[in-house]
Amino acid sequence: MQSWRRKALLLALSASWLLVLLGAFPLLRLAVPTRPRAGASQGWPRWLDAELLQSFSQPGELLEDAPEPPQGPRGGSCDWGACFDASKCRGGGLKVFVYSAAGPVSETHRRILASIEGSRYHTSNAAEACLLLLPLTRDSSAGECSPVPPQWNGGRNHLVLSLHPAPCPRTFQLGQAMVAEASPTVDTFRHGFDVALPLLPEAHALRGGAPGQLRQHSPHPRVALLALAEERGGWHTAGTNFSACPWDGRCEQDHGPEQTHPGATLPNATFCLIPGHRPDASHFLQALQAGCIPVLLSPRWELPFSEVIDWTKAAIVTDKRLPLQVLAALQQMPLTRVLALRQQTQFLWDAYFSSVEKVIHTTLEIIQDRIFGASAHPSLLWNSPPGALLALSTFSTSPSDFPFYHVQQGSRPVGRFSALIWVGAPGKPPLKLIQAVAGSQHCAQHSFSEPQALGSMLRMQRKSRKIPPQIQIQILVLWSSEKPPPPRWPETAVPLTVSEGHRKVSDRFFPYNAISTDAILSLDAHSSLSTSEVDFAFVVWQSFPERMVGFLTWNHFWDEALGGWGYTAERANEFSMVLTSAAFYHRYYHTLFTHSLPEALRALADEAPTCVDVLMNFLVAAVTKLPPIKVPYRKQHQEARPPLAPEGRGPRPEPQPPVRNCINQMAAGFGHMPLVSSRLRLDPVLFKDSVSVLRKKYRSLEKP
Amino acid sequence: MCAAVKYNLRGPALIPRMKTRHRIYYITLFSIVLLGLIATGVFQFWPHSIESSNDWSVEKRSIRDVPVVRLPADSPIPERGDLSCRMHTCFHVYRCGFNPKNKIKVYIYSLKKYVDDSGVPVSNTISREYNELLTAISDSDYYTDDINRACLFVPSIDVLNQNALRIKETAQALAQLSRWDRGTNHLLFNMLPGGPPDYNTALDVPRDRALLAGGGFSTWTYRQGYDVSIPVYSPLSAEVDLPERGPGPRRYFLLSSQTALHPEYREELDALQARHGASVLVLEKCTNLSEGVPAVRKRCHRHQVFDYPQVLQEATFCMVLRGARLGQAVLSDVLRAGCVPVVIADSYILPFSEVLDWKRASVVVPEEKMSDVYSILQSIPQRQIEEMQRQARWFWEAYFQSIKAIALATLQIINDRIYPYAASSYEEWNDPPTVCHEGIQACWHALLLPKNRPRFVDVLIVFPSVLEKWGSVSNPLFLPLIPPQSQGFTAIVLTYDRVESLFRVITEVSKVPSLAKLLVVWNNQNKNPPEDSLWPKIRVPLKVVRTAENKLSNRFFPYDEIETEAVLAIDDDIIMLTSDELQFGYEVWREFPDRLVGYPGRLHLWDHEMNKWKYESEWTNEVSMVLTGAAFYHKYFNYLYTYKMPGDIKSWVDAHMNCEDIAMNFLVANVTGKAVIKVTPRKKFKCPECTAIDGLSLDQTHMVERSECINKFASVFGTMPLKVVEHRADPVLYKDDFPEKLKSFPNIGSL
Repeated sequence: MQSWRRKALLLALSASWLLVLLGAFPLLRLAVPTRPRAGASQGWPRWLDAELLQSFSQPGELLEDAPEPPQGPRGGSCDWGACFDASKCRGGGLKVFVYSAAGPVSETHRRILASIEGSRYHTSNAAEACLLLLPLTRDSSAGECSPVPPQWNGGRNHLVLSLHPAPCPRTFQLGQAMVAEASPTVDTFRHGFDVALPLLPEAHALRGGAPGQLRQHSPHPRVALLALAEERGGWHTAGTNFSACPWDGRCEQDHGPEQTHPGATLPNATFCLIPGHRPDASHFLQALQAGCIPVLLSPRWELPFSEVIDWTKAAIVTDKRLPLQVLAALQQMPLTRVLALRQQTQFLWDAYFSSVEKVIHTTLEIIQDRIFGASAHPSLLWNSPPGALLALSTFSTSPSDFPFYHVQQGSRPVGRFSALIWVGAPGKPPLKLIQAVAGSQHCAQHSFSEPQALGSMLRMQRKSRKIPPQIQIQILVLWSSEKPPPPRWPETAVPLTVSEGHRKVSDRFFPYNAISTDAILSLDAHSSLSTSEVDFAFVVWQSFPERMVGFLTWNHFWDEALGGWGYTAERANEFSMVLTSAAFYHRYYHTLFTHSLPEALRALADEAPTCVDVLMNFLVAAVTKLPPIKVPYRKQHQEARPPLAPEGRGPRPEPQPPVRNCINQMAAGFGHMPLVSSRLRLDPVLFKDSVSVLRKKYRSLEKP
Repeated sequence: MCAAVKYNLRGPALIPRMKTRHRIYYITLFSIVLLGLIATGVFQFWPHSIESSNDWSVEKRSIRDVPVVRLPADSPIPERGDLSCRMHTCFHVYRCGFNPKNKIKVYIYSLKKYVDDSGVPVSNTISREYNELLTAISDSDYYTDDINRACLFVPSIDVLNQNALRIKETAQALAQLSRWDRGTNHLLFNMLPGGPPDYNTALDVPRDRALLAGGGFSTWTYRQGYDVSIPVYSPLSAEVDLPERGPGPRRYFLLSSQTALHPEYREELDALQARHGASVLVLEKCTNLSEGVPAVRKRCHRHQVFDYPQVLQEATFCMVLRGARLGQAVLSDVLRAGCVPVVIADSYILPFSEVLDWKRASVVVPEEKMSDVYSILQSIPQRQIEEMQRQARWFWEAYFQSIKAIALATLQIINDRIYPYAASSYEEWNDPPTVCHEGIQACWHALLLPKNRPRFVDVLIVFPSVLEKWGSVSNPLFLPLIPPQSQGFTAIVLTYDRVESLFRVITEVSKVPSLAKLLVVWNNQNKNPPEDSLWPKIRVPLKVVRTAENKLSNRFFPYDEIETEAVLAIDDDIIMLTSDELQFGYEVWREFPDRLVGYPGRLHLWDHEMNKWKYESEWTNEVSMVLTGAAFYHKYFNYLYTYKMPGDIKSWVDAHMNCEDIAMNFLVANVTGKAVIKVTPRKKFKCPECTAIDGLSLDQTHMVERSECINKFASVFGTMPLKVVEHRADPVLYKDDFPEKLKSFPNIGSL
């Protein structure tokens, strides 16, 4: 019994201890490691008493921030708020006065003057200027380049501009003046006050400039991945097999396909490696022009116009100390990013860098944006085509008001249009035309209950009665004839506004306040259009709001014999211009025509009325870089074409010499030939298809 | 616990067999064992039962227990901050090395309590906010506990508020950190810099090369591209629950809520109020509050008492004036209220200005122009104001609302500098999340498939009212450009076994002048392609690619053999297209290189009866798709189709052996936001005998299947990206009364 008891006791004890060990051990194992095991991430501890911690500032402290008296600029350093007096710039926007050189005018100085004169910024009166521009140039009177100018005033509201680096030592204190210089070093550059310019070559074009070299969106599969900027000024192209070879010149024995182009100035590669020393900045522009994505290795200089241009979209600024990492990253970069970067280089080159004029205007636009504050260009307008110089912030700061950003914004142009009928010399009221246009379903609903005044010169007439609001439309008649307009107008179901113009052809592109729709249908008194044609053309325009959509076309060509441009109205397989005697376009082009074109070009158009069509087409093509769009136009109108060309307007069998001159003068004024040819016409989907006409939406277009 | 229960269960089985006198003995024994077990269990489990199980590995300690470090009076002090520091001069980038994930690694020093020689503490050990900040870093992907792998070091020495620390001793504490090395790669967070009387705009603690994330930088102390400007955190963000209020006109046009202002500013504000009456509200500190009401939460105007920060929601614009410091916590409150901040603090570097576009969310007015502020603000159009209100609120949500948001945004900025090729874009930093009006599905799509936007908040709030939008897109081929004709195009023919028809297509296509190369994708694994000698002899290179699997998506694979940008996809039975038609199609593609340019057009329609999309191939006046049986497009879309097709569309297409063309139409329209271009009139493209096989019933099931595809894809894309147009492209002189032989493309549309 004793043994049984002892056995039982032993059994019970061992069983209990076994159970204790078996049962508790796994739990212990989970619970015990309060100390970290090797390799486990430990992290910042969760303090037991974290709830008791005090705030970094006592509740009162943030509020009771003891006031400190206002302070002026410190230590000779300047920023925009402290050193620029924007009160002078109210009203007319930025007005710039350029100091004339004391001695003989240097070439650089002349070019700066030329690019500002005739622009909307220029003023010849230093007193009314809000910005005084002092060009620093090298080759004026020997040694000293620019003496302290008369209205210096401590440099207040001055911009000291040096297009080319290191012209000469400055002989005066900068004071409160801003500095615009090429590739300034990051250490001295004052953000938001100075302006960083690109390092321009001496022979940079004044206007227009060389177009970008990019011919296709994606890099050609056989093109080199990398080109390296060389000290001598050329580019060294490395093949895809650049192995571990870095770019500091230790690479001479590099194997794989490689070429050196001492003479070739533009690199042909996907990425362009540019060392960070200041002289290498000149390679930067070459890369942009070539559509080669700049990879900047620890640049010591400020990127041009960095205040407004988002360089992360077009270039890669990286650290030269990590060569392998950079190479690997470039090789692995997603195709989508490569495409976006490449295209952005081209856009930026064309929009801001290709000519001296663009560089100067961009500089001034940046300063104007600072003055405008909240109504400056949004970043989107600076960083997507066509760029801030062509998207005037005085028109609007909302991207959806412009014709260019509808896709990015996910918006659509307003679904109505205003017809603008220009009545020239014979002065016959275009009654049939008004009827045809008024029949369109898209013509603008007049948002005003009363006729709108178009200005002091205008006279109004409104012949509408009992119009259901949904079909109210807007027709503006611009009476530009010697004869007085007739007292009676046809009864239309639309509000009709008649205004008397200055008898200048360029009047028809004035941004009238009364135009409330995005689309304008520009017409001549002698145009002849059917409602179907108007309807279809407008539907097409809605798909291409940034382009001109027209019926009659001209084509330009290079005339070898005369060594100049010519154009013809002959029917041909391609075209590059549409006549504004019957065309849809966005109302923004009126603003651009009036406020951005140089005075001289508009004067030219007024002298030779045919020129105004050329000029408008030049303008739109320069902005969009695309051809206009042609829509079908019935044959019977085409046969009755001569009336479309009153007093020399419109096509003629042979353009007269002055007209030929016109296109050449325009091309000279723009600095290049912006027109682009197209070989297609947009027709309704079932146009002349062998299917019942009842199925077709635009039936009257079908008639022979 | 489990063991104890088991033991208990077994216990009763043993006990009854024993004699009573032993029973007590055994019961006592078992009880002791049992108690011991329970005690062990409780002891081990107790601290953890209140924490989540994830934190088991984290050390549990009290802040009072942190080790004390005594700083000798003569221990070294770092040099003052080096103003010329830039990332490529003062930052030791080698530490960051190559990292496939493109994420820097951040190490946090462990917490110490620093005392001087006489045992007096250098500062408060750590503030609540700094503890939160370090916790946020520690929980993020950036954190590493391996000091040797770290690229950035964050000291646990709290310098958020300069007034709460002793400058010299703090500097000494920094200098003795184990990897200090002149402060290289060290990051300090400071929100309240400077101290009376001159209030420096950057932390006064000598810190040598350390990066400073500072809350009140001016242009004179901020090292562009090196330091990071951060907001001053407002504790009200966490304390007060403020429901969102949408943009729109509000009761007050301009409001000032700051209590401690310089008398000069106060006068200026009073003058503003006098001039503009009720539309301007200038609030002050309340003087006669009853006991127990926190002064922080109340503001007064004359005898009226307002709740703060709720009152900010009543104003369109809110003043953020410089105090002794440039950075003001009120900025955070103002943004949160959706009030547009009017920042009057010359030379102030706004928070995160390196990446945030403050023009979109604020108005900066020079101090000198303070008296004009009203007219400046009035010149802003209402639409823009509403946009700014939305933007302000979004900035707060994304980057201001918590210490975590501030900390992670700071690290992201530094990360973007070190890995620039993987940096977040302007849009990712600045564009608020898109709002959807196309139904809840589109909304969910937008929420579930965000881009790699730096989003530091867990909750995403969708703004209730925004302008009607289609959904914005960024066209990958945005540059207006007409590629040169000389480049030509590559024709890709997908074929299975119709060799005869294939050869006819090859012969026809080879007549097109701009054809550069012909690629035959042989999709039949059971049969070898015909011998070389049997293929038609054509003037351009002809390549045959054999595929591993009979899949429709093989047609859209970005083959290395494609060297031109333009691709002509053509079926092996499209024999009726003339050379003029193909050449003209290529010309049209050149003018629209970012679109699908094709011959047979199709349309999608909304079926009101069935309440879903329907596929339409009849003679319609509209087009929204072109069939890729004969279409030109940019080869980049092949890359997109193969690698970036959303959802399971690609596998769905391969499984159903149908609708690859509809998928391509969806993809291109979705990414470009543009419509297709249909070229040339409608005609029969296939051989007449091929169409004869298709019976009517077959045709109908076909239409049902295609409709299903449209509905399926629309749900995957979360929207209907296809755009409907009423035009097609013809040659300029098509059907014009003009001599045929003078036309460039005479042979168009003929059957």
